[in-house]
Formats: sequence, C-alpha cells, structure tokens
Amino acid sequence: MRLTIRELTLPVWRTLPWRGLAASAALGLLLAGALRWGGGDANGWPALTLLRAAVLAHALGLTFLLDDPARHTTATVPTRRALRTGLRIALVTPLTALWWTAVVLLVPSDVRPPVGDVTLEAAAACVLALLAGAVALRWTNEPRPGPSVAAAYLLTAVVTPHLLPAGWKLFVWPQDSNWHAAHERWAWLLAGAVVTLVACLPEPVRRMRIGRRSRTLSPSGV
Amino acid sequence: MSTVLAQTPTATGTESRRTPWAAVLALALFEARRLLLRAPMLLAFLLYIAWIVWRTPDFENGYPALQDADRATQSGPMLIALALLVCVNQAMLRSARRDTERHFAVLVLRPWQRTAGHALSVVPVVLLVAVCVGAQFGWMALGSGAVGTASVGELLVGPLTALLAGAFGVLLARLFSSVLAAPLAIVLLFFLLFGGAFPAGSGERGTRWLTPIVSENTSTAIPSGLMDRPAAWHALYLLGLALTVALVAVLVAGGRGPVLMGSVAAALALALTGGIVQTGALPDRTTVARARATNAPEKQQVCVRRDGSTYCAFPEWKPRTATWASVVDHVRSSAGGSARTQPVLVRQRVYATDGLASDGAIDPSANPHQVTVGTGWGGPRVPEFSAAVSSVLVTGSEKATSGLCDGRMVTIMWLALNWLPDPVKSLSNVRLDDSVTGSAIVLSPTNPMNMTSGQTSVVRELLDQPRESVAAKVKSHWAELTTPKVTSARAAELLGVKAPKEQDKCD
Repeated sequence: MRLTIRELTLPVWRTLPWRGLAASAALGLLLAGALRWGGGDANGWPALTLLRAAVLAHALGLTFLLDDPARHTTATVPTRRALRTGLRIALVTPLTALWWTAVVLLVPSDVRPPVGDVTLEAAAACVLALLAGAVALRWTNEPRPGPSVAAAYLLTAVVTPHLLPAGWKLFVWPQDSNWHAAHERWAWLLAGAVVTLVACLPEPVRRMRIGRRSRTLSPSGV
Repeated sequence: MSTVLAQTPTATGTESRRTPWAAVLALALFEARRLLLRAPMLLAFLLYIAWIVWRTPDFENGYPALQDADRATQSGPMLIALALLVCVNQAMLRSARRDTERHFAVLVLRPWQRTAGHALSVVPVVLLVAVCVGAQFGWMALGSGAVGTASVGELLVGPLTALLAGAFGVLLARLFSSVLAAPLAIVLLFFLLFGGAFPAGSGERGTRWLTPIVSENTSTAIPSGLMDRPAAWHALYLLGLALTVALVAVLVAGGRGPVLMGSVAAALALALTGGIVQTGALPDRTTVARARATNAPEKQQVCVRRDGSTYCAFPEWKPRTATWASVVDHVRSSAGGSARTQPVLVRQRVYATDGLASDGAIDPSANPHQVTVGTGWGGPRVPEFSAAVSSVLVTGSEKATSGLCDGRMVTIMWLALNWLPDPVKSLSNVRLDDSVTGSAIVLSPTNPMNMTSGQTSVVRELLDQPRESVAAKVKSHWAELTTPKVTSARAAELLGVKAPKEQDKCD
C-alpha cells in the first residue's frame, strides 16, 4: 500500500490541473492584495467580501481537481479510485493551506475579520467544491465534469446568500449577533461535506446513469 | 461530360457565396436551442421567474410609481446574465474539449463565422429575458394602483445586460481556451461591481454610470421629470458595448473585411457616445426644478376639489386624489364639532432636492388645515396619512402636533384607525417599532408623534369596543377631547374606558 502511494505520487502530481489551480489561486491573491494596496474600509466588511471572493475563486479552481481524462481506462486497475482521488486531494491540501495563509496575511491586520471563523468558511467552501466534483464523478459517466460542476457551484454561491431563510443565514458580518451561530452552521456544513466526500470517493460497483450519455462505453470512454 | 464540367463551378460559386450566412444562422439556432436547455440556464430561468412572482405583487405595497417599477426589473436578469456568460463560454469551448475542432476544419464555416454563430445564439435568450421583463413590468403597470411614467431605457437595461454578458462569454472563449476563465471572470466582475472596488465617484452622474446596472438608494418615488437619469443614453451605451465585445470576438477569431471593421467602429462609436453623454454633469435646470418641487410644490401641482376639500398632487399622482379623499371622508365622519365639515387642503410633498440620492425629512406645514401626503401609498402609508389627517382635524395644523403629549393623542389615534379594516394591525404598522403595547413613535408623512404606554392601552381598548358607541362619545365630548392639556386619564374617562395609571410623559 505504502509502496503504491509512493509510486503513484509523481504521476498523480503530473496529472493535476495545475494551470487552472494556479490561475484561480493567483486571482485570489490578487483580490486579497487589492485591499493592501488599494485601501480598505474600516468597518471590516470589504475585507470579508474580498476574502470570500478569493475563496470562491480558489474553490472554482478546485471543482476541476477531480477531472480525469483517463477515467474510463483506469476504472478497472487494481489501485482503487478512492486512493487515487484521495492522493489528489492530499497533494492539493497543503498548497491550499499555504495559499490561504498568504491570502490572510495580505489583508492588513487592522481590518482582518476573525481568522479562525473565516478559515472555517474557507475550508467548508473548498470541501464543498471538492464534494461537488466527487458527486459528479460518482453519479455520472463523465470523465471531466469540471465545467458543469463549476457552473453549478458558481450559481449556488451567488444565489444561496439570497435564498437562505432567516434562521439559516451563513453569510453574516462580524458585527452581526448571529456571527457565532452562523459559524456553528459552517462547522456542521464542513463536517457533513467531509463525510459525504469520503462516501463518494470509491468507484461505484454499479453505475447510476444520469443524463444523455447513458450509452455503453468502451473502456476508453469513446 | 464537358457540359457538366462547365456548369459545376458556376453552381459551386453561387453556393459558396450564399451558404455561409445560412449556415451561421443554422448554427446559431442549433446553439441557441442547446443553450436554452442547459441545466444552469433552466435553473436560472426558474429562479428568475420565481423571483418575479414573489417580488412583483408587493412592490411599493401594491401601489407602484412606474418610474420606480422600471428600475425594479433590472436586478433579476443579472442571474440569467451570469448563467448565459458561463454557458455560452462552455458551448464555444465544447469542440476543443471534445477534440472535434479538427472536424470543423472541413466544414463550410470558418472559425470567425462559427464565433459569429455563437454570438448570435445568445439573442433568443436575450429576447426571452425581454419577455420576462415586459411581463414583470406589465404586471405592475396594469395594477389599479399604478401611477407615473416609465422609461423604455430603464426597461432595456435587463435584456441588454444579458446581451453584454453573452458577448463577454464569447470573447472570453476566444481569448482563453480554458473553461475556468468564465467563472473566474465572474468572480472578478462581481468583486468590481459589488465589492466596492469600482471607482464609482460620489455624484449622481460620473463613472458609476459605466456599470451595467445603476441602482439608487432611495425608497421614496419622486416625479419622473425630476429624476433625470440618462436611461436612454445608458441603454445605448450597453448596446454599443455588447456589440463591440461581440465583434471584437469575431475579429480575434480571424474575421476581417471592411464590413466587419466598419461595424466595430460603429459599435465603438455608439458605446463611446452613450458612455460619455451619460456621465456628463447634471444640468442646472434639474437642480433648480428639484429645489422648487421640494420647497414650493404648488407651482407644479394640479388641484382637485372634492366635498369642499382641495387635493393637490404632482400631475402624475392625480389619479390617487380619489383614494386620499376617501380617507379624509372616513376620518371626518367619526369626528365631532366643526371638524366634521372642516375643509382640508391635502398637499403632496416630496423631498427631491438630492434627486434619488437620499431620503430627506419634510417639515410639517404651518398652514391651518393643511395635510401633507407623500408619494407612496398602500400598506403602512394609509394609516400614516390617516393619522396626519386626524391630527390636523384635532389640533388645527401639522405644526401644532409637534411635541404633542396629552390626551388628544387618544382621539387622534382612534380617529385615524377606527375605520380601517384591521385597526390593531394598522396600529402596529404606523408605529416605528411595529409594537401594539407600550410607548412608541408614530410615523406620519412629516414629523413623527409620540404615543405613551397609557395612551396605547386606552386606544387598544377603544378599538376593541363597537365603533358606533365610541363615535357617539367622541362627538358628544369633542370640545373637551380636543382641548390642549387634556390628560389621557380624562380622555379615557370621557370615552368610558379604564383610565391609565401613569401621567402623560413623553421623552
């Protein structure tokens, strides 16, 4: 097992969608940097907006992480998909943590919102992005569902703040008395997303077929 | 044989000149159908229609001013614009992702013609948005309470925003071959437009008009002639910008030729003309007209006489004078003494000095028997106006009600509320904190009034009693009930309900 991981690390590292991840991370850094060099409002909300926009940008990059053009040819190899996908996530996690640290440090300390709580939001958003990709892989036959997942994720991110009922608010300002209650909800969301993500990792024995591409495929997916 | 050879090239010649545009159109229709049936697009339309249905009936309490209703159609299409940007971008990159790009090389369409086809495929979506905007506006405009004048320019903003987003999605696909570009561009755009990073300036005009949707902060309608929003120029600017972006995408895809270049120049000229004219300074005559409407509205108003009373309104609100008259009649019918027949002057007043930039307070009028009414109606506006009428009937003028803190408040509130269908709900509507117990501030079109906790309990008790019996007591004790310095305890005693324990004391 350990040997397999060591052997797999380099090939998996090479197959990660680096350009997309780099572009989204760079946009996130740019947004956070805009506050340092462009000046920010003192009441704290533009800083929070910026951090949320940066997280959204990065999460959109992560929705493409599980795209795998070779999916159909590797479906039958002895190394399970859970391991390969898990390895992808494991490789990206420290980089994301590093990126997040840089983003938080770019925000001037006097306008920085509570770091722990915002990190919780960021973690939940990133895991939800991975989860969206994993669900798309688990329930469809598409090797690269990234674009649809990104579109769905973006639409959800834009619409959710307006649709959540008053008792379920997630996007609140630090001055709001609901800040702690909202972050409890974020924590539950993160926990739920992690559990569902783990449940979605294995290759299904029988595939549920959704959508038009329900025809029989050759191993190469053509 | 030779005949066949001689004829064939001629046929192909005409074919090649005619076919591409038909093929571009066919591609546009095919892509439009696919675009409309994409899951994000369907979901966006579903949410947009739900938003219209949820939002429209209660807009401005069901009594919309059409100069505000047209702007209310603008934010919904943003959702469609977003979905359109992403979907059209993905549709353009589909051939690259599926590796069918090289198959297209053998077809009649060149890359720039395919780009043109994709750009045209957004048009049906834009038309659908226009239909939705029309339906939403029609719903508001056809209601019986609608007044005012709408602007076509404002109504076009929604569909044109969608067109601009579609064109932008096409251009992005031509510039970046990654499907990630569109979502990231949206994050950046949202940050620029809503995150406060756009150099919006502080004035009414200026660079804030360069954003697709220019919203206003105010909650009160003002006459349409005083708004002076350059809506038509803004629509022209959006159209020019969308055409420029789409044509630049065709250029990037390799389109050349004098017609295309000319079109790009014309579209750019449109965008620049609209953009420059709309950001120009506010004309002085608008500022003067606004100040005049705020300080001396009588010069611009039309007056209607009904049952001896005079109702003066800005011309656009003239249809509403009948509704005001019915409120005045109801309030007067429960009053006693000379107030039963007292003619009043109802004058509409607005704070228009800053245009739509801010809501300002209106000073109470010192003229005897003059009542102020605002531009809004429906919901809480009705009991607020009713309280203003009854306070003027009881005290003589609006100015006299400021600082009023005695038993007359009981009479004022009972007169204002007793005729309404649900008096207790109206009581909570008219109070600032929406309460029905304890002390509170009572809103009116001009200065607010104070209501102590004792007065509130007396008014609640009176509202629970049969209307006719209270009305009879009010009429028989009218002179004493309307004397200044009458205490709430005395008023309660006269009207036959339990007197409050505490003294009248206002903060």
